[in-house]
Amino acid sequence: MAARRALKAVLVDLNGTLHIEDAAVPGAQEALKRLRGTSVMIRFVTNTTKESKQDLLERLKKLDFDISEDEIFTSLTAARNLVEQKQVRPMLLVDDRALPDFKGLQTNDPNAVVVGLAPEHFHYQVLNQAFRLLLDGVPLIAIHKARYYKRKDGLALGPGPFVTALEYATDTKATVVGKPEKTFFLEALRGTGCEPEEAVMIGDDCRDDVGGAQNIGMLGILVKTGKYQVADEEKIDPPPYLTCESFPHAVDHILQHLL
Amino acid sequence: MATWAERLAGIRGVLLDISGVLYDSGAGGGTPIPGSVQAVARLKRSRLKVGFCTNESQKSRGALVRELQALGFDISENEVTAPAPAACRLLRERGLRPHLLVHPGVLSEFEHIDTSNPNCVLMADAVEGFSYQNMNRAFRVLMGLERPVLISLGRGRYYKETSGLMLDVGAYTKALEYACGLKAEVVGKPEPEFFKLALQELGLEAHQALMVGDDLVGDVGGAQRCGLRALQVRTGKFRPSDEQHPEVRADGYVDNLAEAVGLLLQHGDQ
Repeated sequence: MAARRALKAVLVDLNGTLHIEDAAVPGAQEALKRLRGTSVMIRFVTNTTKESKQDLLERLKKLDFDISEDEIFTSLTAARNLVEQKQVRPMLLVDDRALPDFKGLQTNDPNAVVVGLAPEHFHYQVLNQAFRLLLDGVPLIAIHKARYYKRKDGLALGPGPFVTALEYATDTKATVVGKPEKTFFLEALRGTGCEPEEAVMIGDDCRDDVGGAQNIGMLGILVKTGKYQVADEEKIDPPPYLTCESFPHAVDHILQHLL
Repeated sequence: MATWAERLAGIRGVLLDISGVLYDSGAGGGTPIPGSVQAVARLKRSRLKVGFCTNESQKSRGALVRELQALGFDISENEVTAPAPAACRLLRERGLRPHLLVHPGVLSEFEHIDTSNPNCVLMADAVEGFSYQNMNRAFRVLMGLERPVLISLGRGRYYKETSGLMLDVGAYTKALEYACGLKAEVVGKPEPEFFKLALQELGLEAHQALMVGDDLVGDVGGAQRCGLRALQVRTGKFRPSDEQHPEVRADGYVDNLAEAVGLLLQHGDQ
């Protein structure tokens, strides 16, 4: 790992860190303003399979956060970037609400498969189409591989099982693009021109936010809001650079010690 | 490589896979693979014992045999080892009441099985039945059990229909295994228990029997692990890359069942 250098970029998780569902974390808007008063670049990074950037932005605006669209980097953005880099035409197994983030991409005569959380697409005929493409050797890109998620009516299968089914049938491995993958953080930083050693990540998920960022040489700050559970900071080795109460405390620390 | 005579020495009977070896299944009853009807007839006239060993779980054994008879094959129900009847035996032995994720065509095999208040999930090649809703239902049954049991009739990756390659039950089994963090119990090839059952019905020891299949891992690898010899046919789901597989090497590769039978009758013990 390269020696630590002056801080130039801050990556911030959204749900659980800046806000929890439709409520802002107390003092978070104020803290963000203070951070903007410095010279650091800010990116907002999140694993989402359903919400497009536009959806996220609208929610943040309602909560009075001062954020622009080009500062948001999601797992959908990461998938789109990968599709563009590979210059492929994806078959998109994603929720209709996520489609705006893939606008403008060619999708006819597909030669790649992108899988998000899309229960309406996870059935025999569609999976068989994806399977036949994959058997011809086209790449499989997974937004993430969650096993299941909680719905109002109970537990429901996530994209992970269906990605695994396709991997097994075709003897291939999916490229997973969301947090905590290294490429996710590197891609998020790419637009800032900063190296990992010049960046810090703030999030409420010890493994996916903090562990993932620290794996590529960033500093990781764990906040005790959102999904945080007591002793989460003991889940990774090395431990988080810092564990603190909430986003405003993290910003205070950065202003006092990292600039 | 050894000569065919050496490779086939001591063979006294054959186990034939059905789909991809005898015929390609599909709409309207499927299509026989050229030469296979005659090849089975030649085997039946020889001194070799003949059995059929299939992972077909989309239809009942009776329906499968009737379909094959209509295509001209000399085959009867008691010659076929199939996973649904084997699974029923296992369910009874262990007092399991399955939630069934299966094709309507195979339901008749389970008509005497208690399916009330399920304490396991049994899945087979459900085809269109593999909807998100049905997969979720099975998932929730498993998550609700203190000791979840998942039984899968085979764990094939895919098979060939006349319209092209189709995902097999194994892919969906893998999905539920991953979602629930468990390992399914497989009834069917490549499980040794299943080959043993087929050998028992044939009345032969493993070293006396030859398996002929189109699935390198399920048919050939499974049979070899059980002590049988095995040939892969270049029909059905065969792909040229199979012949360079890193782990499984067949005792021989032949163009089709007709060639396999020709070699057996020429070089095998008569």
